[in-house]
Amino acid sequence: MGAQSPPTGHDVELAAKAAGGDRQAYGELVRRHASAVRGLLRRLGADSATADDLAQDAFIAGFEQVAEFRGEGTFAGWIKKIAARLYLKKVKREARLIFSDTVEPAEEMGNRDASSDAASRIDLDDALKALSRGERLCVSLCYGADWSHGEAAEALNIPIGTVKSHVKRGLDKLRAKLARPEEGARREAHG
Amino acid sequence: MAEPDFEAQLTRLFAEPPAFQDAPLFNAEVAAKLDRGWAMRRLFIGGAGTVAGLFGAFQILSTRFSTEIAQLSRNGGHNLTAEYDAGVAKINSVLTTPASAEAVWLAAALAVVALAFAVTRIVEEL
Repeated sequence: MGAQSPPTGHDVELAAKAAGGDRQAYGELVRRHASAVRGLLRRLGADSATADDLAQDAFIAGFEQVAEFRGEGTFAGWIKKIAARLYLKKVKREARLIFSDTVEPAEEMGNRDASSDAASRIDLDDALKALSRGERLCVSLCYGADWSHGEAAEALNIPIGTVKSHVKRGLDKLRAKLARPEEGARREAHG
Repeated sequence: MAEPDFEAQLTRLFAEPPAFQDAPLFNAEVAAKLDRGWAMRRLFIGGAGTVAGLFGAFQILSTRFSTEIAQLSRNGGHNLTAEYDAGVAKINSVLTTPASAEAVWLAAALAVVALAFAVTRIVEEL
């Protein structure tokens, strides 16, 4: 007996099949989007083990709720929102001091391959380490999980102005960090 | 760099998912969890269906017994004792005659199985 080929089709079609109980179709969605969810959770500040546990929980929860996904947005965005909410729930439960100004050393994002985009990803992940927990969380929610400032404020239970100021400070730091390699390259080219 | 350009660049960087060497393992773990959850769900649905079936069968049998009692009450003015004895004898004959008893219990068992099957299918459809 030959191995079954993986289901094909658009995410919305696969999600519709998964809503009918087709676990193979959902497995294909997991295969397509697992890395994005695992990466987002790390960028939000979770360590590798926690990020992977939460990513698994997010996909399990996603299967239970997949009938609610109607294709208004992308499946990746939808499942990332579930994952981000799970992470925020965990962070709240552990009562961490997220919005302190201390910059905590973040864990290296492990197990990456050496693709052509690796350099830019390393830049982003390195740059994110320079942000405080609050800045990192707000920037990653708004740019990585595609949340609005209002959604982030509501989920974090903080004023929207606080989210905006954390995002702005975070962007300033990221701009400075990400601009540096370009400046270095320019200097090398001129030198 | 202008702000919108930088934000677009940032969005693009965030949209590029990192590649994980252990991706197949992760996918397999999610699949295993889904299978476990599905098996538990089926077990729960099957259990619930069996309980519902047993309850239904019990209700059918009690209704049959109640009907006999009601019949006895209606005829109570005549010969209560004789009717009661006849009713009890009838119930006993139904339950104790080998062929009849087998038929009743077989019907009850089939009702349990049918109800369990029906409830399982209905819940799965939901």
